[in-house]
Parts: sequence; structure tokens; C-alpha cells
Amino acid sequence: MADDDAEDRMIMEDAFKALGNQETISFAQNGVRTLEILEDCASEGALPKLIILDLNMPLLNGTQTLSKLKEDGRFNNIPVIIYSTSINPVEKSKCLNLGAHSYITKPLSHLESVEIAQQFMTFANVG
Amino acid sequence: MQEITKVTLENEMDLILAHKRTMKLAEVAGLSLSAQTTFATAVSEVSRNIIESKKSGYLVLCVKNEQHDQYIVACLKDESPRSGRAGDGLEYAKRLVNKYNISTKGSQTSIELFYYIQPNFKIDILKLDEWRQLFRNEPPISPYDELKRKNEQLQDLSDKFQKSEQQYRTLTNSLPLTIFSLDLEGKLLYANEWLFNYTGYTSAELNQTNWASVVHEEDYGTFSLLLKNDITHGTSVARTQARIRNNSGEFIWHQISLSPFINEKNELLYWIGYIVDIHAQKVVEETLKDNIELKHAQEQLHENQQSLERTINELNRSNLELQQFAYVASHDLQEPVRKLLFYSDYLLNNCRTAIDEKGAFFLESMHASSKRMRKLIQDVLAFSQIDKEKVDFKDVDLNETLAVSCQDLEMYISEKKAVLEIGPLPIVRGDGRMLQQVFENIIGNSIKYAKEGTEPHIKITHEEQPGYHVISFRDNGIGFDEQYLPQLFTLFKRLHNRETYQGTGLGLAICKKIMEMHEGSIEAASDGKSGATFSIAFPVIHLTN
Repeated sequence: MADDDAEDRMIMEDAFKALGNQETISFAQNGVRTLEILEDCASEGALPKLIILDLNMPLLNGTQTLSKLKEDGRFNNIPVIIYSTSINPVEKSKCLNLGAHSYITKPLSHLESVEIAQQFMTFANVG
Repeated sequence: MQEITKVTLENEMDLILAHKRTMKLAEVAGLSLSAQTTFATAVSEVSRNIIESKKSGYLVLCVKNEQHDQYIVACLKDESPRSGRAGDGLEYAKRLVNKYNISTKGSQTSIELFYYIQPNFKIDILKLDEWRQLFRNEPPISPYDELKRKNEQLQDLSDKFQKSEQQYRTLTNSLPLTIFSLDLEGKLLYANEWLFNYTGYTSAELNQTNWASVVHEEDYGTFSLLLKNDITHGTSVARTQARIRNNSGEFIWHQISLSPFINEKNELLYWIGYIVDIHAQKVVEETLKDNIELKHAQEQLHENQQSLERTINELNRSNLELQQFAYVASHDLQEPVRKLLFYSDYLLNNCRTAIDEKGAFFLESMHASSKRMRKLIQDVLAFSQIDKEKVDFKDVDLNETLAVSCQDLEMYISEKKAVLEIGPLPIVRGDGRMLQQVFENIIGNSIKYAKEGTEPHIKITHEEQPGYHVISFRDNGIGFDEQYLPQLFTLFKRLHNRETYQGTGLGLAICKKIMEMHEGSIEAASDGKSGATFSIAFPVIHLTN
């Protein structure tokens, strides 16, 4: 999961904990770091099951990272979910057109955050 | 040089003879009467001087042939050198003849006066002899005879002059312009008939009023200057333009010109003037001036247009900046607001026991405020994004749009038990998503402002008016006071307070902006008690299919 906002990272971390999650979740602060982590995964031979990207990040933002992932033959099969504050339908369709699996808005309460974490788990396990 | 005859110059009688013979020779040589007189006068002038000087002198009349020119020549010789006294007469004579020659040989002065003979007048040896014979045969003259002859000549000249004047009068009267002469006091001496016919005034009448009765009052000032002595004492032509009143009372533009008539002694005798109709030219002049003024006005207009364009460009740029600002600001505000909501929600749910009643109440308010803020930001964001460039024009089936909007509002509709009566809607040219928002806002409003205790009922119909598709939404809610109609569609304006009815005040403003993007409009009407009708209009545009 890539998000430049520390609080949001904390919120989702809590949400996954509340689910009793067993999977490993790596957090990145921006697009560049995300790609670095992926490179490491590639060399280790273990790719992630799901990539979640925030839209607004410094250096490389969500859509740019998404494009790069889809261009790279090693990574373009991993489902990417875009997760953002904005409910702008124009933004949503843009991301979907770039190849995002889905577009989810960030939670407004603890309950919602757990629901979203559940959704993520479902995506990751189904593929 | 062919000699024809000789006359000695000793006394008064010789002078007469000299004059007579000069006239005769000039006559037979084909000169006109006035030419004869002129030449003879010249000869007489010089002859007189010679006679008065009492030195023996004589006159020889000759004919000379110089290449293509032939002349009658008077050779005057005397024994005195040229003196001052001879000056006046000689100077005068010089002016009268075509050519002259003055030479001195010892004590003898020779003055030759030439007068031109017409080239087509053939002079040959025979003619010359004939003339010589003529003078040889001439009978002697008596002073009485001579005077009588002179009288007859004068009479003849007088008659000719009168005839000439008559011709002049006839000629000037026939011209379609005024010719006149003024004396030195600016009074009319002579005027042709035209002046009288045109103005209807006689010379006497005009003199009496100094022309004030015919010259336009605006132009009279300049005109009267012409008549005054001080200005007109110059020797150049004086001109002015003025409006003259004709017989029908119309004022027509004329050019008035005065030329001085000066005698040989450089004295001003009188003024010759003419007045010519220049009305047409004046009109052209005025039109041209108007054209020039028009051109200036056009240039000014062009400048203004450019200035206006610059202003419009500036405004557009400014608008774009504002729009971008609204977008960025609202976009960036979403995140902190979300945090507020999230945390206040957590506190409310998990920390109730740790906070006192008042604290809980405040926390609730904080949560509610944050929710409102979120809605407001979303609305501002939506409004700022309605950009002409981003409108995606396609053929939109409004029935489908309505269906989607109702689906979005499904929960709200069922919660409030609202009933929608839907008629068939047309296909229009527009952006489906934006129009969906318009429908949602209007229907949402109708449900929101329902009468307490009454199920909201909305009737949606389509009507085709000249050039427009009009879709009306008639509800049975509380309606509104029509005096607030101008404010209804403005930004952030609400007619009720927040406690009674929720809302950000942007809904209708967004609808209006979207309709404007579609070259259409939105209107509202209400009687204030039985509900409201909102109508949106789309221009009828030829569809692509």
C-alpha cells in the first residue's frame, strides 16, 4: 500500500489488524518507493498479490505509478486498486481506463476502514 | 528694308501728315483699325519729340522682311542725341509696338519702331510700288480736313466701342454665373442679368443693404470684409465662399472672387468679380469630411474592440485562474475534512464514557459540521469543474438520464415515499453526466421541500416550444415566494435556515451553470403554497443520427 499520509497508513494498518490479518503488508510513502519495493520483490521471486495506490503522492503520484506498473511486463498482471479521498467520477474513469482494477474512496469512520480492508483481502485472495 | 514714303518733321502739320501716312500704310498693310491707331500713336509720340527738339528730323516709313516675319517699320531720325525729355514719349511708344531699335551714329539718333504684319498678307514688289505710288499721288491736306477726318475716325471708334460693349453685355448676360464690377467703395457698378435673375434683387437694392439680404448670415462677416476698402486695397485676387439666397429662398454655396482692375499707371480703378455656384462641390466636401469623421469613428471603434478583446482575454484568464483555484482549494480541503470526520466518529463511538455530556454534544456538533463541510467542498468542487471545454457533447436520451438519476436517489425516494409521474422525454445534445446531476438536484430539492405530512409528488413533462425542448418538474411541496426569484439560482443562496432544511445552497447554481453550458436555461415558478415548477430548456439542435 502506497500512501504519503502517515495517519492514513496508520488507519489502514489498524483496520487490517482488526481483521486479524495474516498477510504481510508493505507500506510505501510514494510511487518511487513502491517501484523500489517491487524490484526487490522481483529479485526475491515473490510478487505481491495486490497493490493499493493513493492518488496524491509526491515524486510519482498514483496514476503515474499505475501507468509504470502496467508498462512493466513483470508487474502488469498484479491487480491495482486506486484509493482516494476524491469521489470525482472523471478521476475514477481515468484510473479505470489506465488499467486500475477498481477505485475506492477512503473511509470516513473506523467501521468503514475495516470494511475496506476486508474488500482488499477479498481482491487479493481472488486475484 | 523697303522705303515707302518719307515725311520731314519740322512743324505741327508735319505731325498730322506723319500720323496720317502711318495710318494709311498700316491700313493697306492689312492691320486692324486698332492696330493702325496704336502704331500711328507710337509714331506720333516719337515724332512730336523730334519736332519739339527743333533739330532737323524726319520719318521714313518702310516695310521689312525678316526671315518669316514681315513688319511695317517707322524709322525716325534726328540730329539730337537722346535726351531725358524724349524719355516719356519714347517709353510709351516702346510699349505700343512689337519691336524697336535705337541707335546713335555720331550726332544722329535713329529710332526704329516695328509693327507686325500678318504673315498671310502677301507683300511683293508690285504691292510695294503700288504703295509708293499711293503716297506720291496723295493730295495735300488742310488742318480743317484733317480735323474732320480725325472726328470721323473717333466716331467710328466710338461706334465700334459701343458695339463691343453691347457684345460684352450680351455675352455676360448669357453666362450662368454672376459677373459684376465694384467701385472702390464696394458698390456695384455693373452686374450681368444673372445676378438679378438669381437673387431677385437689383444692383441698387443690393447696394443699399450691402448684400446683407442675399448672403447667409453666417458667411456675411467674411463677405463684407471683401467689400471694405482696407482689405481690398491690395492688388491680388480676393476669394471667399458664401451661401447666397436664390429666388426660392434656398441658400446655395457660391464662390465669390474679386480681381483688381489696374490702369497703366498702376492705379486701382475698380474691381471685377464673379460668383459661381459651387454647391455640388461643397456637398462633396462635406460628405468627404463626414467620411473622414466616419473613418475616425471606425478607427476609434476598432481600437475599442481591440481593447475589449484584451479585456475579455484578461477576464477569461482570470476566470480560469479562479476556477483552477476553486478546484485545487476544494480538492485539497477534502483530505483534512475527512480526517475530522473519521476521528470525531471514532471518539463518539469509543470514548463516550470518557467525555461528559456537554463534551459529547460538542463532539456531535463537530462531527455534523465536518459532514456539512465535506458536502460543501464536494459541491464547490463540482461547480468549479463545470467547464465548457470539459463538456462532452453527445446525443443524450433524457429518459435514460432520468432513469439513472432516480436510481441514484433510490434510497432517498423510498425513504420519503416520493412518487414520480414521468412523461416521455426527448433526445437532446449534451453531456449525460452533467444532465444527470441537474435532474438529481431538481428532484432532490422537490423531495426535500415537501409539505409536512404530505407525500412528495413530482410530475415530469416535456413540451416543445419554438426552438426549444422544455422539460418541467412540477412538485406539490412548499413552493417559494417569487420575490426571491432573482436570488434563487445564485451561489450559496438559501431561502430557509439550516435547521429546517439541509443543503449547501449550491444545488440550483450548479444546475444553472450546467444549463448555460448547454446553451439552454433554467427557470422556476411558484405560487408560494401549492408547490413549485422548475423548467429546463434545451435549444433544438439537429441531432447527429
